[in-house]
Amino acid sequence: MSHASQATRPRIAAPWLGTALFLLAITLLLSGRDSSAQKESENSDLPVRIPSNVAWTGETLAIISRGDAFRGLLLARRCNHCHGEEGFSSVPAFPNLAGVDRLSFWKQMQDFRSGKRTSPVMQGIAEGFSARDAADLAAYYAMLPTASDPQDNRAFPQAMQDPSGAPIAIRLIVFGDGQRGIPPCQSCHGPVSYVKGAPPLATQNGNYLEQQLEHFSNGNRANDINVRMRSIARQLTAEEKTALSEFYGAGMGPGVNSR
Amino acid sequence: MKKKIGFAAAMVLVGLALLSTRYYMVDLPVWHFFGGGNGPDPVTLHLRGEFVESNLGAAEGPAGSFTVRMIAQQFVFVPQCIVVPAGVPVTFRITSADAVHQLSFLGTDYGLKAVPGEVTEATFTFAKPGQFKIPCHEFCGAGHYAMRAHLDVVPRDQFASMLPGERRTCEPR
Repeated sequence: MSHASQATRPRIAAPWLGTALFLLAITLLLSGRDSSAQKESENSDLPVRIPSNVAWTGETLAIISRGDAFRGLLLARRCNHCHGEEGFSSVPAFPNLAGVDRLSFWKQMQDFRSGKRTSPVMQGIAEGFSARDAADLAAYYAMLPTASDPQDNRAFPQAMQDPSGAPIAIRLIVFGDGQRGIPPCQSCHGPVSYVKGAPPLATQNGNYLEQQLEHFSNGNRANDINVRMRSIARQLTAEEKTALSEFYGAGMGPGVNSR
Repeated sequence: MKKKIGFAAAMVLVGLALLSTRYYMVDLPVWHFFGGGNGPDPVTLHLRGEFVESNLGAAEGPAGSFTVRMIAQQFVFVPQCIVVPAGVPVTFRITSADAVHQLSFLGTDYGLKAVPGEVTEATFTFAKPGQFKIPCHEFCGAGHYAMRAHLDVVPRDQFASMLPGERRTCEPR
């Protein structure tokens, strides 16, 4: 009896085999579809402008996440003179690098190297760092603390020159301006949510921020992917730019843990 | 025997229930695993293809056809201000660089969903000149409620004289 039931078992499995083959056939049929069907632009004679060679593909993220912070520490001796021993610059026009986001740091280094972001100083320096070096530096600066150190010669928290700009800055940082399509700063630069390539601003120097907002709005700096920051900066008034950068530069921005 | 009939009936009911949600049970999984990839890669929009930043905006194609190319991304539309001619069909081609967004043209019946990895194409005709707001109508993240674009519908002759041969937007350059 048991002998007979064993003999019929393969026949019971047959429908399942059939189902599996059917699914496999569907899989093969569907995966063979043409995936390269992309409509080309009609007037392809227009010059193509590419803002940055960096794209947030899996390979890019893998390169950045392989950064070695100790190697970065050794490489950072070349950066210390301007960006400070502890990642806080003593000159308010230079950016602070302590606690910077890895992705944004790496992207800026690549853009300096490829000339997509122009700077007479940084372009030459960035040419000396490979993609791996930049990832190591990013890992190092990302782990530097943003807490204040009294022995450190830092320019960072500078009192607002015009404190009446604070309400304007708070409104833009927290709510943005929907009428003009300006999203809140904190929805991309943190701490509410983050977007790849957007640096944290909570411990950034005000003078540097104002410069960059100005460059974004007049197009001198155009290395943001898909015109994101340019679209926002060119709608800000001069008063708003000053208020925002002074507010962040005074260490009052959200997400700060330096005090 | 009764047990078998009951079991078969239950199976039929379960099958009917699954069929009634065929979109979720069949179409969506098939689309998820095999259906994507017809459009451009959302992370390399700025490098190649039709959505490079110099190709965004309204373009006049052959035979007087108008095409508007747009990117929706967290949390701005690019270009943020688009200008189209009135009274002629305008084709919108829209994709997303990250999440799902939706454009709804306030004051009209028109709307468009922007899906990463897909190009949404639709042709609209705006009868009269005017200005429309285009808020994002699909929750896309923390800055969703401030995500907004503007549409400027201008008379046909005015549009032709604006910036011949270029991609037209009404943004300050």
